[in-house]
Amino acid sequence: MKRLAGWTMSAPATLLVALCLIVPVTATIAATFVTGQGPFAAYAAFFGSGFRRAVLIRTLEIAGATTILSLLIGFLTAYVVSRAPPRWRSILIIMAVFPLLTGVVVRSFAWLIILGRNGIVNNTLVGLGITAEPLPMIYTQGSVIVAMVYLFVPLMVLTLVGVLENIPDDVIQAAQSLGAGPFATFREVIFPLAVPGLIVGAVLVFTGSFTSYATPQLLGGERQMVMGTLLHQRAMVAFDWPGAATISAIMVAVTLAVVLGMTRVAKRLNPMAT
Amino acid sequence: MAEVRLTGVTKRFGRDVGIEDVTLTVPDGAFVVLLGPTGAGKTTTLRLISGLETPDAGEIAIGGHVVNDLTPAQRDVAMVFQQYSLYPHMTVRDNLAFPLRSPILKTPKDAIAARVREVAEVLHIAHKLDNKATALSGGEMQRVSIGRALVRQPQLFLMDEPLSSLDAKLRSDLRIELKRIQADLGATLLYVTHDQIEAMTMATHVGVLDRGRLVQFGPPKEIYENPASLYVAGRLGLPRINALPAGLFPGAPAGAKTIGLRPEHIAQGEGQPARVVRVEHLGDQTRLHLTLDGHDVITLTDVHTDLGPGDTVAVAPRNPLYFDARGARIT
Ligand SMILES: Nc1ncnc2c1ncn2[C@@H]1O[C@H](COP(=O)(O)OP(=O)(O)OP(=O)(O)O)[C@@H](O)[C@H]1O
Ligand SMILES: [Mg+2]
Repeated sequence: MKRLAGWTMSAPATLLVALCLIVPVTATIAATFVTGQGPFAAYAAFFGSGFRRAVLIRTLEIAGATTILSLLIGFLTAYVVSRAPPRWRSILIIMAVFPLLTGVVVRSFAWLIILGRNGIVNNTLVGLGITAEPLPMIYTQGSVIVAMVYLFVPLMVLTLVGVLENIPDDVIQAAQSLGAGPFATFREVIFPLAVPGLIVGAVLVFTGSFTSYATPQLLGGERQMVMGTLLHQRAMVAFDWPGAATISAIMVAVTLAVVLGMTRVAKRLNPMAT
Repeated sequence: MAEVRLTGVTKRFGRDVGIEDVTLTVPDGAFVVLLGPTGAGKTTTLRLISGLETPDAGEIAIGGHVVNDLTPAQRDVAMVFQQYSLYPHMTVRDNLAFPLRSPILKTPKDAIAARVREVAEVLHIAHKLDNKATALSGGEMQRVSIGRALVRQPQLFLMDEPLSSLDAKLRSDLRIELKRIQADLGATLLYVTHDQIEAMTMATHVGVLDRGRLVQFGPPKEIYENPASLYVAGRLGLPRINALPAGLFPGAPAGAKTIGLRPEHIAQGEGQPARVVRVEHLGDQTRLHLTLDGHDVITLTDVHTDLGPGDTVAVAPRNPLYFDARGARIT
């Protein structure tokens, strides 16, 4: 009876997901295998193109670098926040996630103003005579990574604060009172207990940055094309629907592989598993 | 060698008093039991000595060195926490080995293994060494938490109700073990408990805290026989001391408001008549619950007594303690 009620209540949502997500995605991916020139022709074409291979590798690099930098910055921030007095904690969290309240485009645009040819950084450098010409900072891989890290750190902080707050103070204090210095306490107690949060955060940031579109479009442009912008170009500019479908299938595959791989690692490292 | 000296130590939490102006010298090798009701400041005292809290005022010295500015790790103390505080991501073995692996105290691997096993045997948890610390009963966790402190052999142990979750038999076994270990090491030990027997049998000194203030400090026998106040008298002794209006019996000194009679300090067969309410046979002793002029009185009697509810027995004080209106002792 109870189960039936549960089914009934979740039915609308399930139906919505099935109709609007599973069916179209399956159809899109299925279409890539029926091209007339054999089942894997579309993929052979993708990986046969040096340009597209380079786009995939660049996307992986950007997503990887963004994930690692977000982990480092996010962890430090979250640690400070989680050990702050309760009254400060909520203020700090609000400050950390404040950027989330504005849109992705707005936040990426901010970096255009900072890093652009006539941006704040270049104006300062030229004004001080440190460089004669403005430096080409925008439309580089670095500018995309910087903007993405800025985009994803709040998400990482939110994820990690929850996990770090749950490490009881007196477990840390027990380590200290048993002769462990701050470094040993961190390495042996705090870090292992934070691993589940680090994994969740890494998955969120990696999948988010791997599939991002607006930021690489604004800060990378044509020169730093990534999977998201390539997909857009194939579908909306070139109307190459089969090509676009192949790109999305590869993106889904990479995302799934990362999620599954990370879950695996999480299971292995999960300190709470018995 | 670790004598512990607190001088005028005060710790407040906002408006709450943790401890207030506590001055106390714990001699080297002493086994000190801190007594007091919940919120009296027992845990706070241990945390201040371990360095997990910093005092608002006063000085703390261990082994003659002022340690106010040292971190917990630098103080060479080992604390057993009231809430166990085991590392949830480690096995019992790793929990026990942790204090030996921390860099300040490099110990060879096989020495660590041997020491862990030894401590596990003493605490009867050797068969659980490979369990996760979270997959243990409360009593087992508590023993791991004691073990974690014992592996290190520091100059000072701080234990916050370390035996509270154990069954009676294990508790009495470990009482003996702890006392033996402490004597063997010659370590100083501060120990918090609510258990009367632990206080009387293990302590060389008892400190009684009342709302953050240390109201008496001395050997348990002295605290028991010569309490400075009615409050202190009520902290030791089971059944508790009978506190009755001083006028109930003749012979009260001037200014006495309350007469304190330990159960064993009531003579039977003479004096005021009291009615028996209940007889409790506990095996090694028999308790009589009496009512005297409307006041409840508990005393001990012959194990094989014939008395039953409704009987009348005459009682008179023997070695009474008198207290004034503020609860202070009158001698
Ligand atoms: N971290 C803290 N923040 C605020 N107040 C605290 C804190 N720790 C202790 N106190 C206060 O200090 C007083 C003494 O607390 P403490 O924990 O030392 O009591 P205790 O004697 O150990 O009690 P129990 O027998 O319940 O363990 C209490 O009034 C408590 O509310
Ligand atoms: Mg306490």
